[in-house]
Amino acid sequence: MAEQTRTGVIRDYDMHAPSVRVGYGIILFLCAVMVVVALFPLVWVILAGFKDLREFVSSTRLLPASFDPKTYLTTWNQLGIAKNYLNSFLSVAGSVVCALLFNGLLGYGLGILKPKGSGAVKKLVMLSLLMPTTISIVPLFMNIQKVGLGNSFVPLWLSYGANAMYVILFVQFFESLPASILEASRIDGCSQLQVFFRIVLPLSKPICSVVAIFAVNAAWSDFLLPYLVLRGGELQTVMVRLFVFSTEQTVNEDAMMRSVVFSMIPPIILFFIFQKQLTENSVSVGIKG
Amino acid sequence: MSEKSNRGRLRGRTGETLKSWLIMLPGLLLMTFFVWEPLLESIRMSLYKTRNVELVRFVGLDNFISVMGKDDFTQALMNTFSYTFWSLLIGFALPILLALMIGETRRGKGFFRTAVYLPNMLPGLAVIILWSAFFSGEKSGVLNILIGKLGIPPQSYLTKAHLVIPILIVIATWKGAGATALIYMAGMAGINAELYEAAAIDGATVWQRMLHILLPAIRKLAGTLLILQIISVFQIMYEPMVLTKGGPDNASLSLMQLMWQYAFGGAMNYGKASAVAVTVTLILLVMTGIYSYFNRKESDWD
Repeated sequence: MAEQTRTGVIRDYDMHAPSVRVGYGIILFLCAVMVVVALFPLVWVILAGFKDLREFVSSTRLLPASFDPKTYLTTWNQLGIAKNYLNSFLSVAGSVVCALLFNGLLGYGLGILKPKGSGAVKKLVMLSLLMPTTISIVPLFMNIQKVGLGNSFVPLWLSYGANAMYVILFVQFFESLPASILEASRIDGCSQLQVFFRIVLPLSKPICSVVAIFAVNAAWSDFLLPYLVLRGGELQTVMVRLFVFSTEQTVNEDAMMRSVVFSMIPPIILFFIFQKQLTENSVSVGIKG
Repeated sequence: MSEKSNRGRLRGRTGETLKSWLIMLPGLLLMTFFVWEPLLESIRMSLYKTRNVELVRFVGLDNFISVMGKDDFTQALMNTFSYTFWSLLIGFALPILLALMIGETRRGKGFFRTAVYLPNMLPGLAVIILWSAFFSGEKSGVLNILIGKLGIPPQSYLTKAHLVIPILIVIATWKGAGATALIYMAGMAGINAELYEAAAIDGATVWQRMLHILLPAIRKLAGTLLILQIISVFQIMYEPMVLTKGGPDNASLSLMQLMWQYAFGGAMNYGKASAVAVTVTLILLVMTGIYSYFNRKESDWD
């Protein structure tokens, strides 16, 4: 929010023309519609979570008859969501650490150290960005089985250490760092690893926070590989539980909707804490541009 | 790129080179284990008869022939193209429109951006289940309650073969359009406002400025996002799996969902599953190739 210059096509003096003002009014109206469409389903599901089963199946009213927090509490306890929350937090925490450490180090190599032959690796990483990801889920699952890592968080954590997009984000950021600082620290006798941890990382807070936010959200929402690795076990995450509910239809509709709300709470909190970083221009450009 | 030569001094000796590779080694091993090897392995597996995780014997293209000979493959292939068609129809222009509108607002821009981005943060699985309550055919379904207020009797949605794919695309668009709009907004913010001023002085109307300055400026970005959208919608899998189980009567079955069924739907036929996966990859490669061919032509023009 540094500069407040207008970027739109409509300039200040255009607003004197009645036709432009009508058009602008229509734009504002459509923006309001858009906000309603974006938020209504979310608000509805949170409120509808207070409905009991009978209301869910037969009531033709949007809102519940009463807002008794017991409905949510009962579902939380009956389905034992607390344990799944804990599992999800563990899974997310390890994933973020791996995402930052391994992709960061690889990005450091490809973006700053650039040893002989690393150009080809960089191209390979760029290429993997275009490759469909779900395609290889079968052999990946087999790999995990073969090394005996089934029913464990370890393969899920490590899978976040192999993310082509995060690597590219790191490389792009590192390449923009001033070479003089890095060189000075090398002359001072720091080893390559010391330069990374003492100089590069502290300078890279913006990109680290971006990768961390994306990794948290992705790891929380992920369920396909986690389902294959964790199914049936004690370590199931919230999303794995939700996937099992939806495919096996073992829970009632009302409990299902409350589970949906449970699964959305952490991402929503994350969103409100980091909304500025998330909706800032630079981030979104880095992701897809 | 004058920095490159400065950076050069950071490497140099062979010892340094070796150490640099050692630093990258963990990341490279993980990329190999999780991305590169599985990709190659799925090609190999598609050529073998498999039993559980074992490759029994080489069968050439038998898996492909057997998979493609079945009706559900033809259906899934057509459905997947149908998903792509609807996704382009519904989901391609909408983010551009959103970005145009939000970009013109003079107050509350931050609020609008936040509101449209929020759905993108929600877990995809939760979004699908949430929307299943909207499109429920019961009289207690949210959409039926809403149209009931207009006096329209309850309708069923997900049992109608011609509606399921558009509905799934509407849901995906609800989740993703806002985030894509922000990318377009970033592109639009890069346009020098003096261009608009200069055009206005020359008498260009608001429409003309939009058509001749703004839209051309984001054309390249739109091309990139188009191909990314095609790649991602072509892999649609869990959405129909959860919302409709591929029904009614395979009307929403996607190719990737077919792959999942072969692998994890009880049959554990990893060879055939890989054959489907490889087919999808090949189709995507061809489409990406066509895109970059046209893209190259376009940049020759510039």
